[in-house]
Amino acid sequence: MSELMHERVRRMRERVLIRAWEYRQRHTSHGAWFRIRRVLLDAAQAWTLSDQDADRLERTGHLPMPVGGELAPPKRMFFVSAEELRTLAGREPIDVRLSPQLLAAANLALIAHTSPRTSGS
Amino acid sequence: MREVGGLRPSPEEPSVWLPTKPDLIEVKFIGMDTTQRPGETYVFEDPDLPLLVFGQLSLLRRGRPVTVEGITIPVPRPAGLLLEKLVTDRTGVKGDRDLLMALALLLLCEPADIHELEESYQRLPAELRYAARSSLASLSLLGPMASMPDPAPHRALVAALVARLERAEPAT
Repeated sequence: MSELMHERVRRMRERVLIRAWEYRQRHTSHGAWFRIRRVLLDAAQAWTLSDQDADRLERTGHLPMPVGGELAPPKRMFFVSAEELRTLAGREPIDVRLSPQLLAAANLALIAHTSPRTSGS
Repeated sequence: MREVGGLRPSPEEPSVWLPTKPDLIEVKFIGMDTTQRPGETYVFEDPDLPLLVFGQLSLLRRGRPVTVEGITIPVPRPAGLLLEKLVTDRTGVKGDRDLLMALALLLLCEPADIHELEESYQRLPAELRYAARSSLASLSLLGPMASMPDPAPHRALVAALVARLERAEPAT
């Protein structure tokens, strides 16, 4: 009578094993996706940039976030201040979401949360 | 269970009881075993009511009951329920809705709840701690969904929780 339930348990255990495998792969492509989400998590705002803007940021000492270089094609993502952002002529605002537009952007400027509420404190 | 009227076990899945009257809804029974490690799932065999016992439910702790229109409903404390939502593996729209429900719970949490969440988190195996942080990162990047809280105004709160959980990670 409970064969279906046993089958569901078997499928769930498979998923647990797959998740454990994915966890062990976190430094490869699976991990890259987490690290991108982790970077975006800290961003209150995101702006797409022109190549010239991104080049200029690099020339002035801003290092792109390493995880962007793990994508193909590579993506340059920089955390900048609001003042620095205002100097970038080719900026366009974009929602901080895993949208096709954000994923397709070659260059992103990110503004960190300024005063994050501290959970539970 | 033998006193329950108007419902009968589904022949396909006996832990689901189907209504025999039009004014009742389907009832799904699930098992919780607080002695189990989160992640372990098994079938509890019983001639009257076999149950799927979900390991993640061992994270739940009894909370203050809620009374609605004279009916007292037992509810879990927010911390365990929130953590259960974060570590349970779901995908698609159902997965997104569960994450938004986790956000709703987070918005209800008091400082003591967050402390309890952090303590429970630290007891999880590494892959489930990673799953919890990964779910929170996904939550903060979700778009709005009808009848659910919009994560956008609360992204800083989610980021702060992830940072707190990262600080609570055991040293490797």
